[in-house]
Amino acid sequence: MQDAALARAIAEAGSDIDAAAEAELCRRFAPRVRLYGLRHLRDRQAAADLVQQVLMMTLERLRAGKLRDPERLASFVLGTCRMVCMDQRRGAARRQGLLEEWVVPEEAVEDAEPRVFERERLAACLEALSERERSVVIASFFEENSIEKLSLSPGNVRVIRHRALGKLRACMEAA
Amino acid sequence: MSAELATLVDYWFGDLPPDREGAFEEHLFGCVECTEKLQELVALGAAVRNAWRAGAVRAVISHALFDAMKKEGLRLREYPMVPGGSVNCTIAASDDFVVSRLSAPLAGVRRVDLVTDAGRFEDVPFDAATGEVLMCPAPAPLKRRGAFTHRVRLMAVEGTGERLLGEYTFEHAPS
Repeated sequence: MQDAALARAIAEAGSDIDAAAEAELCRRFAPRVRLYGLRHLRDRQAAADLVQQVLMMTLERLRAGKLRDPERLASFVLGTCRMVCMDQRRGAARRQGLLEEWVVPEEAVEDAEPRVFERERLAACLEALSERERSVVIASFFEENSIEKLSLSPGNVRVIRHRALGKLRACMEAA
Repeated sequence: MSAELATLVDYWFGDLPPDREGAFEEHLFGCVECTEKLQELVALGAAVRNAWRAGAVRAVISHALFDAMKKEGLRLREYPMVPGGSVNCTIAASDDFVVSRLSAPLAGVRRVDLVTDAGRFEDVPFDAATGEVLMCPAPAPLKRRGAFTHRVRLMAVEGTGERLLGEYTFEHAPS
């Protein structure tokens, strides 16, 4: 079912609730909202909270028939992510009321099982990188701001990071 | 690396200009394939972070990463070394990392190679301002080793020639 059809099914059910359509919407959008949260909030718990809140707000809007253009469901979810993150920064607290009123099925928004990378293979692939590539990759993933003092410009770091991650992926896929 | 993956990497590390970031997020929210690729990149990052924390990987690191590791509460055993210096060293079971702080006259140096009994490691990261190279051996295999002597030389590589910046001797004993 396309996004727009899903949105229409939820809207048409209204207060009768189309549980299957709602669960599908949550399964479809939870990973995107979680990634958005991890990217902008850099905190796993905050990203999990964002998933709950954004999906609750989306379902609320759909059930009430207030999403004007179902074709733009993805844009609406993204806009809600942006608004909630801004609200979080402003310290607004709409969340508690929503949590009391709406229930998003937990299994729909749980972290998907992440891909597992075999550690010995990963260590060997990291060892195969150049010294600077390894240093940039580790620093990039350990602490975002820790690569400032490598005698490298941000542009250099970006180029090295692209090259290193390309090599690392290729090495892991060759396993 | 495909252009698509390069964009995902830039997005994840905040390297896209704001207008391109907004447009890319619009795309991401409607693209299952990009979501899956970004999830895989995030999982790879987590695996790198975990492999580093578990002591499976060696690296020459930046001072910023060194500071970030301390801030995270990792237990670092430090050995500050001057050129020509020798030290009795070890790694305890409770140590997360050993960091050898190799001081050297690095002002004006463009490339540093690190030469050990195990081989030559070209173009290692260094911080000319602090005059240090931070060498971080992989802790997990180091904890399993018996006593040994490890000699390290830092070489400045200039044009077609090179010059010795410093030589350092580590007399390692198990803890």
